[in-house]
Amino acid sequence: MRQRGTGPPWQRIPAGTRDWSPEDVQALRALERRLVDLFRRWGYQEVRTPILEFLSTIERGVGIEGPHGLFVLVDRTGDLLALRPEMTVPIARFVATVGFGRARFAYVAQVFRSRDTARGEMREFVQAGAERIGDAGPEADAEVVALAAWALREAGLSGFRLGIGHAGFLRSLLEAAGLDEEEQHAAQRLLYRRDFVTLAELLAEAPREVRDAILQLPGWRGPDALERAAQLGVAPWALAEVTALMRALAPYGIQADVEVDMGIIRDFEYYTGVVFEAYAQGVGHPLLGGGRYDGLLGRFGVDRPAIGFALELDRLLPIVRPQTATPALTVRYAPSGYDLAVRIVLRVRDAGVPAVLESAVGAADPCIMVEDERVRIRDRSGREREVAPVPELIVQEAKRLWTS
Amino acid sequence: MDELTVALPSGRLLAESFAALQAAGLARPVPPQNRSLLLAWPDLRTRVLIAKPVDLLTYVERGAADCGIIGKDVLLEQDHEVYELLDLGFGRCRGVVAFPMDRAAAWSASARLVRIATKYPRIAERFFWERGRAVDVIRLSGAVELAPRVGLSDGILDVVMTGRTLRANGLVEVDEVFTSTARLVVNRVALRAKAQRIQEAMEQLRRATQLLLGERS
Repeated sequence: MRQRGTGPPWQRIPAGTRDWSPEDVQALRALERRLVDLFRRWGYQEVRTPILEFLSTIERGVGIEGPHGLFVLVDRTGDLLALRPEMTVPIARFVATVGFGRARFAYVAQVFRSRDTARGEMREFVQAGAERIGDAGPEADAEVVALAAWALREAGLSGFRLGIGHAGFLRSLLEAAGLDEEEQHAAQRLLYRRDFVTLAELLAEAPREVRDAILQLPGWRGPDALERAAQLGVAPWALAEVTALMRALAPYGIQADVEVDMGIIRDFEYYTGVVFEAYAQGVGHPLLGGGRYDGLLGRFGVDRPAIGFALELDRLLPIVRPQTATPALTVRYAPSGYDLAVRIVLRVRDAGVPAVLESAVGAADPCIMVEDERVRIRDRSGREREVAPVPELIVQEAKRLWTS
Repeated sequence: MDELTVALPSGRLLAESFAALQAAGLARPVPPQNRSLLLAWPDLRTRVLIAKPVDLLTYVERGAADCGIIGKDVLLEQDHEVYELLDLGFGRCRGVVAFPMDRAAAWSASARLVRIATKYPRIAERFFWERGRAVDVIRLSGAVELAPRVGLSDGILDVVMTGRTLRANGLVEVDEVFTSTARLVVNRVALRAKAQRIQEAMEQLRRATQLLLGERS
């Protein structure tokens, strides 16, 4: 169990949660800001939804057999509430209740899954994502897939692969195996669990080429993946969607990072069309996942096509380029210089330089020193010199000292 | 050629797993006095790490190992996000529920809460839940057969190979829960990032284990 410390209970935090130090927060914020900014430039506006939803809302969205354990609470009224396990369902609920026709939405949000922490999995983690609502077709798909690739680049990640598959193709492939309804559910579950050994047993009676195809899914990728799929004659509409998406992606110029991967298995049952995931060498989990979910909004009463993705920020942070944190500039005052020092620190902050106010007692660090009406600059080598108490001049000196 | 890191489980499956790797040309014999948990053969472009069975899926899932060999019993017990791609056939055992001889007949007729000692608490909970039996699962990490003898539990859920341990402790099997063999598991990213190497290793292992099993039968 991940248990922080051995101290008394009031010093501990629940397994799978974490505190964020100033350095951690600065790195997270920097990443969030870059992503939210990117989303905004692409026309995806940030939205927020409550951390708590009705349990029935989440279940309506992800299905009762959803793969993720939920944190469930009981409201005063007796209603069951759940901490959101992802953001696509809350946004679908939001869109449906407000009645937006078309929308491009983005979010950064903490999500919660009550899973086995013995494997070092977080139960509270941060996702950033984008959802395009109300548009179907390859151009809409391409925009969202391209945005996903741009997001990984914006995060500072070099060298990733974005694989593109199709949820409808997988479903049709299972249907073609001639299983009864119960077996088909079982097969779906085995596919989600990636248990190809038991799947092989279940498919013993299936048509040979369908069985072989399903069992070969884990390696089914690359330039000729679509051609191989076409020979099966299963779900040609799905393959046409992938082909059209790849064509629509061409002008974005990201061919080197994107490939067809028919073996992509997303473990949310709401996906209906193209699905995608991104991987980077040396990271055991996908960094990003998404896909088209045309049926989900319909479950909330408003039938609309939609597509989106989520990035796992906790997994991205350790591998993206570190941000060196520049500490705030210090403005120090002797008692006689307090009033002037306050005015100076406000000016410096207005000029965009982070600054803190400290007393001058016993300090020898680089700073702006204020005593009576006199202002001195102490630089990194310890040299001191006086500057005229003119605001513009001091701000200039502050900027130079801060960036030195 | 990509370097491949293979995780092997210490304990009951280690010898056969290691033999399978050697037969597949993915490892070389090591002197018996070797105690290292990380072995490397640069010319084979292979590393082997030896992990406790309960930890093995964590190594593979998080990408510290690209693939691994593990019993189906562990896969059934633990949540995981790895690909299970190959039944290697060896390490065959069964998971069973067993009771002391004198209580074996009574347990199925009664609706009383049963106390079950096991290394597989999740499998146990699922199994009894599906049968509609109220169960108190007692998690132990080994020597489970001791529990009913000293009154810690009514019965056990454990793996058996020959049944000798059960008999020696006066226990009889009352139900089978699962059968298990060694499986090849692969990390989600390695499956793609090192696709060719993984495919080759799988093919080599498939052939090697079929040969090994053939020899034995």
